[in-house]
Amino acid sequence: MSRPSAPHLFGVRHLSPAAAWHLRRLLDRVKPKLVLIEGSDDADELIPHIVSPRSKPPIAFLAYTTDAPVRTFAYPLANYSPEYQALLWCREHRVQARFMDLPASVFLGLMDRDDGAAVVDIEPPPTPEKAREQPTLAQKLSGRDGDAEEVQPDTPPPPGRNSLYERVAELAGEPDYETYWERHFEQLDADGQYEEAARTYGAELRALEDFSTPRAAENLVREAYMRRKIRQAVADGFPPEQIVVVTGAFHAPVLNLEQPAMTDEELARLRRRPAKITLMPYSFFKLSSQSGYGAGNHAPAYFELAWNARHAGRTPQLPTLFLTQATRELRASGTFRSTAEVIEAVRLAETMAAMRHSQPTLRELRDAAVTLLGQGDPAVVREALLRVEIGTAIGSLAQGVSQTSIQEDFHRELDRLKLEPFKTPVKRDLELDLRENRRVKSTEAAFLDLHRSGFLHRLEVLEVPFARKQAVRQDGANWAERWALQWTPEAEIAVVEAVLLGETLELAVAFRLKQRLEACTSIADAARIIRQACECGLPGSMELARQTLQRLASDSSDFPALAAAARELSLVLRFGDLRQIDPEPLKPLLEQLFLEAALALGSASTCDAAAARPVLEGVNDLNRVALDHTGLIDEALWLTELQKLAAADHLNPLLSGHACAVLLERGLISNDELAREVSRRLSPGIPADLGAGWFEGLSQRNRYALLTRLVLWEQLAGYVASLDDDQFKRALVFLRRAFGEFSPAEKHGIAENLGEIWGVHPEQVGEALGVELNETEKEKLAELSDFNFEDL
Amino acid sequence: MSKDPSHELRQPAEILYAEELDALIQAEKHPVPEGWRMSPRSVLTYLCGGKCGTRDITPKYVGHQRLVEIAISTLVTDRALLLIGEPGTAKSWLSEHLAAAINGDSTLVVQGTAGTTEEQIRYTWNYAMLIARGPSNESLIKSPIYRAMESGRIARFEEITRCASEVQDALISLLSEKRMSVPELATEIPARRGFSVIATANTRDRGVNDMSAALKRRFNLVVLPAPEDLDTEVAIVTRRVSELATNLRLRAEMPGEDAIQKVVTIFRELRAGQTLDGKNKVKTPSGVLSTAEAISLLANSMALAGNFGDGSVGDGDLASGLQGAVIKDDEKDTVVWKDYLANVMKKRGAAWRGLHAACAEQAGE
Repeated sequence: MSRPSAPHLFGVRHLSPAAAWHLRRLLDRVKPKLVLIEGSDDADELIPHIVSPRSKPPIAFLAYTTDAPVRTFAYPLANYSPEYQALLWCREHRVQARFMDLPASVFLGLMDRDDGAAVVDIEPPPTPEKAREQPTLAQKLSGRDGDAEEVQPDTPPPPGRNSLYERVAELAGEPDYETYWERHFEQLDADGQYEEAARTYGAELRALEDFSTPRAAENLVREAYMRRKIRQAVADGFPPEQIVVVTGAFHAPVLNLEQPAMTDEELARLRRRPAKITLMPYSFFKLSSQSGYGAGNHAPAYFELAWNARHAGRTPQLPTLFLTQATRELRASGTFRSTAEVIEAVRLAETMAAMRHSQPTLRELRDAAVTLLGQGDPAVVREALLRVEIGTAIGSLAQGVSQTSIQEDFHRELDRLKLEPFKTPVKRDLELDLRENRRVKSTEAAFLDLHRSGFLHRLEVLEVPFARKQAVRQDGANWAERWALQWTPEAEIAVVEAVLLGETLELAVAFRLKQRLEACTSIADAARIIRQACECGLPGSMELARQTLQRLASDSSDFPALAAAARELSLVLRFGDLRQIDPEPLKPLLEQLFLEAALALGSASTCDAAAARPVLEGVNDLNRVALDHTGLIDEALWLTELQKLAAADHLNPLLSGHACAVLLERGLISNDELAREVSRRLSPGIPADLGAGWFEGLSQRNRYALLTRLVLWEQLAGYVASLDDDQFKRALVFLRRAFGEFSPAEKHGIAENLGEIWGVHPEQVGEALGVELNETEKEKLAELSDFNFEDL
Repeated sequence: MSKDPSHELRQPAEILYAEELDALIQAEKHPVPEGWRMSPRSVLTYLCGGKCGTRDITPKYVGHQRLVEIAISTLVTDRALLLIGEPGTAKSWLSEHLAAAINGDSTLVVQGTAGTTEEQIRYTWNYAMLIARGPSNESLIKSPIYRAMESGRIARFEEITRCASEVQDALISLLSEKRMSVPELATEIPARRGFSVIATANTRDRGVNDMSAALKRRFNLVVLPAPEDLDTEVAIVTRRVSELATNLRLRAEMPGEDAIQKVVTIFRELRAGQTLDGKNKVKTPSGVLSTAEAISLLANSMALAGNFGDGSVGDGDLASGLQGAVIKDDEKDTVVWKDYLANVMKKRGAAWRGLHAACAEQAGE
């Protein structure tokens, strides 16, 4: 127990319902005049916002440096955080509360080692669970998890094999640290028990701690500062026995008035980074996805349930509450489980816990749920359990409380672009016309929609779920866009988080694109980023992307990817002026891509039927590019390559046929040549699949060009007539596929051609061909289609 | 017939591990539930291994201690326990050892088959006596479950889903009322404390009967999975093979760690349909390829080597066993096996070359 002249020390684990409950009881008993709480002391001014009735936890402090490289930490508070409950108690009893930890600027300065690089050297290895989770923005940015354990080193680091916490759990015979904590601390009931346990625990942890690590050194700095703040409070006239200090169990043993506090000199010597601290809404999901760190815990909804149960004096009913809720979730999703099964599940959980002389922990509840509610199958109850363990709650703050530069920027942009009315929870559609509006006076107004589009595209890159792009009805219209806008709390969180990437939207997007470029390994991705940079109106990022694409392209010979990238680039070039982008720098790159793609065509065409489809798309793409940028690219080379492909017998016949069609369309094959080629390709000796495959390729483009060439149909008719029964059956399958894509009018054209060749009235042929197939014929064809020719 | 249990082909668990069980009972510190011989904690130690004073308790079930805890707790809450799993996941093994630890008697067994009748679950009569003297306690022949209820012990019901559903349902009233009525004698036998049933059921079997929802509800279901990782499975196989070798007096050396590792690797890969590193897909055969099969395969190889070979298990001995285990009945399995040999095993490098050559030779390639 604290001596009369010393402040009351209460060691907690952050995000612990039991700690919150016992802390409140202690505060009720001691009735202090001042409560000091572990947390950056420059957040003092945020306290009224935290306890405001309009704030709903979970919420978090977010501290970030205002210059690059950006360092951040988040410090979440849930309803069941002891710190939050202490603040609430202070408001209810009109008692002053202060934070007492290092200011954010120093914290962030400590995170930055001298070399300015991220603190990789003390970063604990990610746990397997972590690796599987969707990383948050903060993680993606810094490669680590919110850096929050810097703030809360007294909570366990991720369980590495030999981590101290893991060993503690193992010694206690528990499978993991969370279960150990829950069984040995969360279930303590009597007054003073928790304090006592936490004090012993903290002292023992300190005894085991290796103080030579940088992190431990950081702890010592923080403790010296906290002692300084305690002394300061005493100097301010608060009697020590009327002060309650709420701090991590690890620090509690050394926060006394006897040990030396930090001097002014020492304080001045600490490295600082310019920083800001603000509040942001948080969510249970985020809390759980950062579990293992001080910034989270693994089962927020369960802990909230535990807190509510304690509050209502119903702790013994916690297993029943939990399992009943899980059963209700199961029923809601359509799996019926009876009350009898819930009763048995509660009994099982209690028996398993009794083997360890305790109340059931989450682990036992989970096992009982799997055994009884899932009837042995974890998959059945997985989702229901997630709902009652993690939950979907999202915190909220009064308007304007959360203040980051990027939020300001965001609202400024909303205002400038007249999008403010769209910031509602009701989904609204927005149609944009990117062209200059010539009926208005100012340029700002003339390009309003263009700017809006840029803004929304930027949000999309930042993964802010505010606007979703819709398909445009008018196909291919490059100046029209449709968006669906809907404001959600998640969007707010995402905007706040974006500050970790940059001070303004523009900086954040540029940084995000840069990160993606650095991680980018495929041409298609790089080309997509060029387009996105163009859509976001960021020439700088476009240039970076261009360099990346150029580098990747020179190492690649993947024809479809190169062709797709060339096409993408060609679109940006052609429509860039619509978005007021200077296309010049992209031209040499397009030239390079085109050249490489053209050269890769030959080797890409040695492929089977399945691989031929993307190559065929690529041929079309590249031909389009060739037509659109005649002066820019090496068209002669392209045509030579096509001719080679068209004439080759050893390459994929579909592609050869297709190359032929492209050349035909360009008028580079005469009727005679075509006739010769058709007859050569469709000779009776050639396997039917090759011949018909070639024809299929030929017929993929510009069918009217084919229809007008009678000689082709003569050859085809002759070919079909020359086939014997078996060969005909095989050819039929391929030819049917080739003609399947023809429109009725085109088919009619064919009928006319054939009529002319066979000397019958075209309409008769048309009628004969137009008749619906009868059942037997359909069956026969189905049989043929199912037939596996590869066996022959 | 000799009374010496060491001549029995297979001794029940309570005799095989009598010393460990006695040591645990001697050292008991925790409260013992009524009808049990030891506390739930000691049962757990017996099954999952640990220390009893200075004595090491060998683990009987490796890998999923949590499932064992659930199983024991179920029996403490007087609920019946149903162990489900693919063939060869140690269901019967676990059930036998649970009964051995809790009661010191794992022999109250009903073996479920398509021919199991309700009488085998409840009771039947000595008909000669019945006709001579009428219904009486003497003419009553009690089923293992009847005897378990009377004496407050645990009855085992093997392969419960092989019985017809109607027959299974005879258990419903026994499990919920905990009484067996004998209308012929106008009496009812109440179950003593400690009575429970451990049933086992296969998930991957043809010709099994569904359990009624009413009966299922009276059981706590524990699904026993295949061993989690390679090391666990190798450990299980090694232990069991050495036990079998002593028991069956096989005159061959234990196969090396290396050989066991290879067999288990092949089994795991074929079972999962992909290589351990997840880089290659492989076809899966029709058989289950359980851990139990791996154990008997290695024991077989030892028998082969001991009786017809030079006493040490070579690649050839393994190869014939492997082929027999993988290729169960149809053509497809042959394809699966040849594919696996050519696409996976062949590319494994020098350490695998010998085994591959032997397998390929057996497979007739």
